[in-house]
Amino acid sequence: MEKVLIALCAALAIGITALATAWAQSRIGASGAGTLAEKPELSGTIIILLAIPETMVILGFVVAAMILTLK
Amino acid sequence: MIVEMSKVEIVGPKALLQDVISVLQESSTFQIEPSIVGFNERVGRKFIRAFLPDEKSLSERLFLEDLRARIGELFSYLPAVTVRKSYIEPRPIIETIVRTIQKHIDICKKLYQEKDALQREASELKHYAVFLDAMESLLKGVKETPDIDFTGITIKDIKTIGHLRDALASLTGGEFDLLTTTAQDGSIVGLITTGKGEGERIKSLLRDEQVPEFTFPPTFDALTLPDKVKYLKKKISGLSSESESKRKEMESFAGRWAPIYRRVKEWIDDRLYVIRATASAFETRQCLFICGWMPSKDVEKVGRRLNDRFAGEVVLETREMIEKDLDSVPVVLRNPPYFQPFEMFVRQLPLPRYTSFDPTPFIGIFFPVFFGMILGDAGYGLVLIALSLVLMKRFRTKKNIRDASKILFISSVYSVFFGVLYGEFFGDLGYRLFGFGPICVERRTAILPVIYFAVSVGVAHTTLGLSLGLITSLRKREKREALYRLLNILMIFCILALVAALFGIFPDLLTRPFIIAILVLAPLLFFAGGLLSPLELIKSVGNIFSYVRIMAIGLTSVLLAFVANNFAGMTGNIVLGTVVAVLLHLLNLILGVFSPSIHALRLHYVEFFSKFLELGGRRFEPLIKENKKEEESWKKY
Repeated sequence: MEKVLIALCAALAIGITALATAWAQSRIGASGAGTLAEKPELSGTIIILLAIPETMVILGFVVAAMILTLK
Repeated sequence: MIVEMSKVEIVGPKALLQDVISVLQESSTFQIEPSIVGFNERVGRKFIRAFLPDEKSLSERLFLEDLRARIGELFSYLPAVTVRKSYIEPRPIIETIVRTIQKHIDICKKLYQEKDALQREASELKHYAVFLDAMESLLKGVKETPDIDFTGITIKDIKTIGHLRDALASLTGGEFDLLTTTAQDGSIVGLITTGKGEGERIKSLLRDEQVPEFTFPPTFDALTLPDKVKYLKKKISGLSSESESKRKEMESFAGRWAPIYRRVKEWIDDRLYVIRATASAFETRQCLFICGWMPSKDVEKVGRRLNDRFAGEVVLETREMIEKDLDSVPVVLRNPPYFQPFEMFVRQLPLPRYTSFDPTPFIGIFFPVFFGMILGDAGYGLVLIALSLVLMKRFRTKKNIRDASKILFISSVYSVFFGVLYGEFFGDLGYRLFGFGPICVERRTAILPVIYFAVSVGVAHTTLGLSLGLITSLRKREKREALYRLLNILMIFCILALVAALFGIFPDLLTRPFIIAILVLAPLLFFAGGLLSPLELIKSVGNIFSYVRIMAIGLTSVLLAFVANNFAGMTGNIVLGTVVAVLLHLLNLILGVFSPSIHALRLHYVEFFSKFLELGGRRFEPLIKENKKEEESWKKY
């Protein structure tokens, strides 16, 4: 039972943050596409902005890894 | 590196103003300052005023602008061809140019309009060519006799052919023929042959059935359909050759005259530039006064040149740079060849201020290291080295692609280095085939040690950023800001050491001293940074933990490579297994180029640069000659 709970917590840690990242990236991606249509020279900045919400899922992944590995 | 600049003043006789600006323009190292603020301000208010152009300068400017516009009009009629560079001296031939330019504009305009009309006519006739090509094939099957009428039609729907055939049979009593074929553009073309005199009735039937008859220009009316085909082909060919001859005539004109006009235009641009630049100069009753900025290393050279040219009548002096000048000093970035490709990353940001740092060397050092740490696979690294070498060779003349290839090459070398440390060669393929094991750590299993390593890198990188911020504050003599940044660094160290002690990484004995240190530093931090200082501290700690991405993205890369190798083994077929492994490794390699690049850049832009970089510098825009601006494109106009 304990193993199941640990696995569930790890899955929640990465799953919820992944959903949050996906939602944020979808909003930034849509706005970014609009920006690029008007100012293509901002492509570098848009790529960086798109990468910013990935912090959430990366930290979620780290937390999941710690839940699974730390005792 | 940000080039050291000097604040410069030039004084001389007023009559020499344009000549002085020409010398400065030739040197391409002087940026004129249109405001006297910060220069000879105190004396300036009494004696110095903005330079007012005299009548001669104004009329020269109007004359040159008019001539330039006319040369522009001439070029608009000429074809864009590569021409030689002319070395003719423009000044003596200006009078001749003024006399001949209108004649040349008229000639070129006429040629251009004639060529344009021919091309338009040919384009209209080509519209019929597709139809006629199809018609010609149908006419081959018909015996041409004087008692037959031909009608050409286009059919929209193939199903209507049967119905049309019935209608024609009922109209002509079966004395007709309907041949159809598909034209090059996919449309269906039909040819109706009937007895002489049936033409009008056929046209009426086609109108009723809503089948469009193919109509020709009115000039074709007198001709029969077969003659129309022959005439049209001859006409199109005639128009093409006539248009070609006009084009050659224009190219020959361009080859003969364009280099001279181009040279004259450059000279006019330079003259106009000098005349416009005089508006940024100042004058007293008898003297000229120019103030501006130039790289310190060029001051002596330009001073000597002015001295030689004007026999000591014009003097260049450097002035002491005061604190309020620092915001207006223009910025030039100059880096050693190794760092130059990395300037493409820095160009995404506004220029740094003169008092700040050029971020290029930092990104040049750390970007490849982070890329290598994230990708960390010797096999992928070797593939990317080969790819970057090919790109460098193939796109030698395209600066951006060449620079990107150089960055990829350097980053791939680091990837090989870290790949050897991690013992990764296409994932665990190196271990399976050659027993190539990790020297330091195996990323796939040792997750926590790699997290600690990534956070340690974050601590080092962020602390470097904060230290550079501290140096910037000291340079600007902002003592309180410097103290705040120093306290921030100390606090971060204490917090991280405390966390390490609580997690058992540092001895438990150190917990209490670090808590005391934090309690002592906290009020000082409030004093130096204000009420919002804890937020800044939390942001800095968050930034450090953000470096965990180095481990996380690296781990996804190594796991995907591991999956690729396992999948290949599970297929049970050597060919299928190889294909699956290659495809998955290819996918991983593509992700392995983009993901580490984006995240390494993000770590610089968001986490590192925010600690010290002050953006919003003023771009260095020296007086420069027109031909130097267009050095790369001098062959075309």
